[in-house]
Amino acid sequence: MDEVQEKIIRVGNSLGLHARPAGKISQEAQRYAASITVHSCDMEADAKSILDLLTLAAPQGTELILRAHGPDAADALSSLSKLFEDMFGEDR
Amino acid sequence: MASRTLFGIPVSAGIAIGRAYYLNKNHFSGTVRQTVSDADVPFEIERLNRAFDAALHDLERILSLVPEDLKEHSAIIESHLMMLRDQKFRKRALDHIALTKINAEWSLERAVGDVQEIFASIADEYLRQRMQDVRLVAERVLGKLVGGESGHQAIKHRAILLAHDLSPADTIELDVNKIMAFATAQGGKTSHAGILARSLQIPAVVGMEGLGDDLAEGGIIILDGFHGRIIIDPDEDELARYTDLQAQFEGYQATIMRSCHLPAETIDGYRVQVLANIELFEEVVAVNDNGGEGIGLFRSEYSYLNRDGMPTEDELTEIYMDMASLVAPKKLVIRTLDVGADKLMRMQSSAESNPALGLRAIRYCLKHRDVFRTQLRAILKASVLGNVSIMFPMISGLQELVEVKKFYREVQEEMHAEGICFREDMPMGIMIEVPSAVITADFLAREVDFFSIGTNDLIQYSLGIDRTNKDVSYLYQPLHPAIVRSLKWVVDSAHRAGIEVCLCGELAADPFCIPVLMGMQVDSISLGPQSIPGIKRIVRQASMEECNALLKQVMASHSVARNNKLVREMIFRRFPEELMFYSSLVDD
Repeated sequence: MDEVQEKIIRVGNSLGLHARPAGKISQEAQRYAASITVHSCDMEADAKSILDLLTLAAPQGTELILRAHGPDAADALSSLSKLFEDMFGEDR
Repeated sequence: MASRTLFGIPVSAGIAIGRAYYLNKNHFSGTVRQTVSDADVPFEIERLNRAFDAALHDLERILSLVPEDLKEHSAIIESHLMMLRDQKFRKRALDHIALTKINAEWSLERAVGDVQEIFASIADEYLRQRMQDVRLVAERVLGKLVGGESGHQAIKHRAILLAHDLSPADTIELDVNKIMAFATAQGGKTSHAGILARSLQIPAVVGMEGLGDDLAEGGIIILDGFHGRIIIDPDEDELARYTDLQAQFEGYQATIMRSCHLPAETIDGYRVQVLANIELFEEVVAVNDNGGEGIGLFRSEYSYLNRDGMPTEDELTEIYMDMASLVAPKKLVIRTLDVGADKLMRMQSSAESNPALGLRAIRYCLKHRDVFRTQLRAILKASVLGNVSIMFPMISGLQELVEVKKFYREVQEEMHAEGICFREDMPMGIMIEVPSAVITADFLAREVDFFSIGTNDLIQYSLGIDRTNKDVSYLYQPLHPAIVRSLKWVVDSAHRAGIEVCLCGELAADPFCIPVLMGMQVDSISLGPQSIPGIKRIVRQASMEECNALLKQVMASHSVARNNKLVREMIFRRFPEELMFYSSLVDD
């Protein structure tokens, strides 16, 4: 069986997880078969849903946990965390 | 059947008589709840799925149509696309059909309601605002559910468009050849829809209460863009009267357009420069067509509003350089960021309890130096092209101005050190729009190359009234003795210091006020492009002698009513056509 994989990341861009980054994340997440969730405190969002991600309302500096489960979970996590590392192409 | 009249805010002049056409009528009519039988559930699910797909398809097509120069809108359209693609949202709506056996429309409303509830608890103002996007997206889907075509492409004949609001996506999609005029229920004087109407030169009214309540689609209506009203089911007298007015206005426009390229010079040889206020790159064409002699006020806010994140230095530089070279050799005055009050960026919080007196314009820039630096550098870079001036808004006193100049110099030195070229002697001016700046205008005049008087804010601050507040807007009196004296003092202070004064509020476009301003000898006026031909015509027919005489009477008067009467009499005597089309002071 596939293991649940986890990765801790931080929101680095100054505007936080607003519509554009949320759109990018959900777009990227939709490319994978794995189910992917984003956790912040006690909140959980489906990484494939832009609306879910927006409801996290995560400002700059928030620590988030990415959790993926499925055949391509590892790939999904590394590509999503790369988006965070690149700060979604903002604040360059 | 008796005719009925609806009132709104006029944003673009003219008369249109035609059939009413609703854009997405469901905006108005509300959604009906219906229970469906078990057997119909799969049918409703299929219907909703199709509506989602159709809306998605539409938006993808719109996105592909966005021209290069309107790219700033596409970020919004893209996030709408992502919301439409949001499977979780779609599933929520579909689940409502299956679980509660209700029709697709109502299920979608329920799903929006669910999201609304979650969003309502978010503290972040910007994110809460995104709820409106969810609503807009849902309305697209609803439009597809309500039946076949409901977008703009369905307009078969030329019609008067009625809409709840016109979003940037809507305005891109509009087939302008089929739209004679439009009215929206939402929106204010400065909304995007108004700018669009003026640049297309079609009449428009916004902020119309009661629009859509019970108007019959396809019925004949009259839209009056002078006074901001719609007449539904007009009787024969009204039709005849408005047909006449329409013909007269078209004749008048043809006349003034013929002479709009001539200089604005009075019969006794006094010349005033007539410039334009613009916000969008696209408006430059209208400025040239209407005889504008340059851009007296380029509002730079547009690059900052309706987007996520701040524009980069490269983005701004490109915009300013394009503008400068397009306008050259005519003058281009770029006003630095004037956000706050009614123009909020997504990144700003609107938590201020008194935004008109809050962290806006130059105050915002002095607090957010990085934002300010980026814009100053872009303007300086563009200064090597064409004929660019820089102007700072909302200066309230000498100390603030010194602070701004100090920072401006620092930025210039940085650029020097980096070896970046700019025009060292680019003219630098300030807006005079705060009463404290008026009173100290003699001090300020020694520090800058020019003044530009922003009468809209100046009147609001001087008379202590919020003119968007219906209860006090009657006190918005441009010819109040306090305003007339303020203007005269600012112009005189500038001239004593040897600098020029431009007047760039709505006052400059008011045919009734222009003779008074002429009497004060303002050097230039700056107004909406569409108002230029009419104002030039008045100047060209006036004489400085009569303007001086009028100003003398107005300066000696202690009553607004008397001043209004004085200017009205002069206009009536000398320019009867203007009196017919423009009513700013006539109605009182």
